[in-house]
Amino acid sequence: MEVKKRLSILQPGSLLITVIMLALAIVMIIPFLWMISTSLKTPSEVFKYPIEWIPSNLTWEHHQKVWSGAKSFGTYYLNSLKISIIGMVGATFLSAFAAYGFARIDFKGRNTLFLLYLSMMMIPPQVLFVPKFIMFEWAGIYNTHLALILPGLFTIFGVFMLRQFFLSIPNEISESAFIDGAGHFRIFFRLILPLAKPALATLAIIDFSWQWNDYENALVFLIDENLYTVPLGLQNFILENTVDYNGMMAAASAGIIPMIIVFAIGQRYIIQGLTNSAVKG
Amino acid sequence: MHNNWMRRQRMLGYIFVGPNMLGVLLFFLIPAVYSFGLMFTDYKFMNPDMTFIGLDNIKRLMKDPLFFLSLRNTLIFLLAVPVSIVIGFIVAVILNQKIYLKKLLRGLYFMPYITSGVAVAFVWMLMFQPNQGPINGFLRSIGVDNPPGWLSTTTSSMYAIDIIWIWFMLGYNMIIYLAALQEVSSELLEAAKIDGARPLQILRRIIWPLVSPTTFLLLVTGLIMAIKTFGIIQATTQGGPGNSTTILSLYVYQNAFRYYDMGYAATVSWALFAIILLITVLQWVGQKRWVHY
Repeated sequence: MEVKKRLSILQPGSLLITVIMLALAIVMIIPFLWMISTSLKTPSEVFKYPIEWIPSNLTWEHHQKVWSGAKSFGTYYLNSLKISIIGMVGATFLSAFAAYGFARIDFKGRNTLFLLYLSMMMIPPQVLFVPKFIMFEWAGIYNTHLALILPGLFTIFGVFMLRQFFLSIPNEISESAFIDGAGHFRIFFRLILPLAKPALATLAIIDFSWQWNDYENALVFLIDENLYTVPLGLQNFILENTVDYNGMMAAASAGIIPMIIVFAIGQRYIIQGLTNSAVKG
Repeated sequence: MHNNWMRRQRMLGYIFVGPNMLGVLLFFLIPAVYSFGLMFTDYKFMNPDMTFIGLDNIKRLMKDPLFFLSLRNTLIFLLAVPVSIVIGFIVAVILNQKIYLKKLLRGLYFMPYITSGVAVAFVWMLMFQPNQGPINGFLRSIGVDNPPGWLSTTTSSMYAIDIIWIWFMLGYNMIIYLAALQEVSSELLEAAKIDGARPLQILRRIIWPLVSPTTFLLLVTGLIMAIKTFGIIQATTQGGPGNSTTILSLYVYQNAFRYYDMGYAATVSWALFAIILLITVLQWVGQKRWVHY
């Protein structure tokens, strides 16, 4: 999103506006600040008002508790990483493959098929819960990671987003390759995929964040605690420690911080990808 | 020769779309059809013999006070969508001015969106704590004697969830508006300024109408997204206190996995779909009145 010209409707009182906007932005992230601060406090300081942002008795004890013991977050992290990474790689590739078909190959029934994809997007996930539950039971993958990994390989949004991007690549590029005798496969792997790297990275990051944050599917399809992902482990930890507010916040930090890191690294891609698919989609 | 090429093209099209199509078939289309069928059965988890019961589930739905309560809660929840869109618009317009730290500010406003999840829900739950929580602590300190009970009372709980949702979606709406504002021609604004238009007039009469397609898009997708939402509420209140935050998506889950009443759960889920469809169609019809392309 390159900035062209500013639409300045205000007089250049920029410093004052910056200060006001910064103050509001800090209000926006207060929940995170409060979370981290509380996780480092002692129990008696949790609800002290005025809020003690930097605890006087700084303690790491709550974080240690979250990461050690029988129900350590380590297991949940490994489970989440496994599911999110396989899902991210698989979904990105499978979406790219299908998006190429929809964007660059003219075949019979293409538009009808695409319309079907469109309509599938409107179906709330709750409609699919019960039948998927029955299907997974029947197939023997209920309460296994496969119940999350397999559906996670397919994202309709991903097909839309990449189709949009592939459509924007000039046709001349493939035409000259056709004349040189290349087929669709070669064009896809050698030309389109390398050109689409930014779009693929965007989808990969967005998809990773979805899979990492996915709570509903894990809640419905996993019962075995050793299989729990981070959101589910977090819920469990908090339900079992409803009076340990510091522990709750230490656990919440464990659930959020990886996404903040991913966001800090991929901010540009995430924002660009979302705007492209929304504004031009 | 030409025919052969066409056939080859078509084959290749299917080969490319096929793998993904298979997944969509398995994990979207077949479950959707299956769920539609379940609506007409009394299928319960404990009693695997399904009997066809016709429209009984739908009749039950029409007499189910809890269904109508969740419908009402869903509508209160949806109020958050236009509010967060308008705030997102205002923030975007301001961040589009000549100000410092633009990238940092953009990132900070956007952060809640990326950290979606149960964790955020639990943080808000504690902050909303009615007696000792920091939010009511702050309200008391500025002289509010009876601050709201937030998630703990039936009258305020749904609005507390609205606040979480506005906070969560604001950055996303802002980012999309920022992109849309790039397309607004600055010549037009210059011309308006020369003609003596004041900033607020420019905002209302020029910028807002020009970004109306974006507003429309955010409204359609935002409403659909909010209706489908489940995690934030399940994690904070599980529908309580006293069903006051049971929205439709949660009611589906409760029927299916708390009462194991799968047939009825399927029926409620299709009611949910019907509402999404209705809202989308209404917006599509209504857009002519206010969306300028």
